[in-house]
Amino acid sequence: MTARPTAAPADHRAGEPISESEAIARLRQNADPSQQYYAAWWLGRMRSQHPEAVPLLRDALRQRRGRDPGAGIEENAVARNAARALGKLAPAATDAIPDLLAVLGDPDDGLREAAARALGDLRAESALKPICQLLASGPNQAGASRPDSPRLMEPCEALLEALGDIGIADPAVLAVVEPFIDHARPLIRSAAARALLQLTGEPRWGDLLVSLLNHHQLQVRRAALMDLGAAGWRPALESIRRTPAENSLKLIALRGLVEQGCGAPAEDALLACMDELL
Amino acid sequence: MPSPVPLKALIDQLRQASSSEALVLATRALASSGDPGAAPVLVEVLGYNNPGAAVAAVDGLVALGAEAVDPLLRLDPDNYGARAWAVRALAGIGDVRGLELLIDALGSDVAASVRRAAAKGLGNLRLDPLEPPIRLAVQQRCLNALLAAGSDGEWVVRYAVAVALESLARQLEPASVAWQRLEECLVALCEAADDNPPVVQLRARVALDRLDAQ
Repeated sequence: MTARPTAAPADHRAGEPISESEAIARLRQNADPSQQYYAAWWLGRMRSQHPEAVPLLRDALRQRRGRDPGAGIEENAVARNAARALGKLAPAATDAIPDLLAVLGDPDDGLREAAARALGDLRAESALKPICQLLASGPNQAGASRPDSPRLMEPCEALLEALGDIGIADPAVLAVVEPFIDHARPLIRSAAARALLQLTGEPRWGDLLVSLLNHHQLQVRRAALMDLGAAGWRPALESIRRTPAENSLKLIALRGLVEQGCGAPAEDALLACMDELL
Repeated sequence: MPSPVPLKALIDQLRQASSSEALVLATRALASSGDPGAAPVLVEVLGYNNPGAAVAAVDGLVALGAEAVDPLLRLDPDNYGARAWAVRALAGIGDVRGLELLIDALGSDVAASVRRAAAKGLGNLRLDPLEPPIRLAVQQRCLNALLAAGSDGEWVVRYAVAVALESLARQLEPASVAWQRLEECLVALCEAADDNPPVVQLRARVALDRLDAQ
């Protein structure tokens, strides 16, 4: 898992804190998309439980706009932030699953990516089939590089991670994920190994993630740390301790080992390592 | 063991480093010299915006211990990047002269990684050499700063607070009011809540259990 874009607010009035009702009001108006963009982010970040948050975010998910470079706003920025926020509001945002499924077919791949992650956060079993369909053509088609950008044809990393998060170890799902273990990009291999480890618990996928902790690129080691944490793979403890990367990320990974994992090494050893890294 | 390479040669090598990798290697070499004269140069490296070199410099400064404290405290307070690394070094050294900087960092630094290091440092100050009344006053200030940080918005800072409270408790009089306030904070950190993840609850529980068994 790569560090996700934080989608930080483009305009937050110099960091002035806003209230929940202000965020709701800013999302409801539609004259100023940059205010909606910030409001959507705010509601997710603050895990808002306001009764209007989910309905308004669902509306925002349908909002389509072109890029506005002048305001520093990307294409469909409001809809993307709405999708991310709905994921953060799981499980309260279950009603939004049909809207997110519809967005999986959007022509904007950034929006498909945000929707896939949100569906993973929501553990949406109904998303298994459409996500598998997007990945079914395999690493050479869905996973092919675009001629005009560093992105892949489909947002494979987010789609693979969503399958792991949803957590249904159906043979058809495993068959779709496994070919991505041989993808040319190490970040995609990491995402596939993470999903397979979450779904099957087989040590070979954990071993593959541990081997990525020795990759020469820091970005790959960071991704492997996050993926080991998400899967809670405790045998990785010593490799996590030793890999050259920021302690902050190691601590997040170890938290995952404590909370998501089981077996040896036991919690005492995990906590002792965390204490050292503070 | 004193380095076979003279200090001046190590410093020259560092100043002439022409790439990021060369700077990291030169910093490591200087850091492992164990020479107190290296401290001001290692402190300078904290401001170079090179994380690999800064990590090596922090290791060297922590190894130098008390000898590194003065140069660390003389650091330009406006150099934010360098100050964040200095907090880590002072937290590792545990010298009471770092008290003000650690309290300030825990209460107001924008980076959770700096606040967590400061919290750990406040639990690790070596207070044995102090006169008892001064020791008590310092413990009180550490405790107040840690209790306030018990409601920090970032889990990793609260985790560090639990760790620091456990080590601070070992220095306190068990029947004291201070101990009671400390225990209350750990009990609160044990509680399940939406924004208090299981790992923080577990760490606080472990701290309470170990203190009970003491």
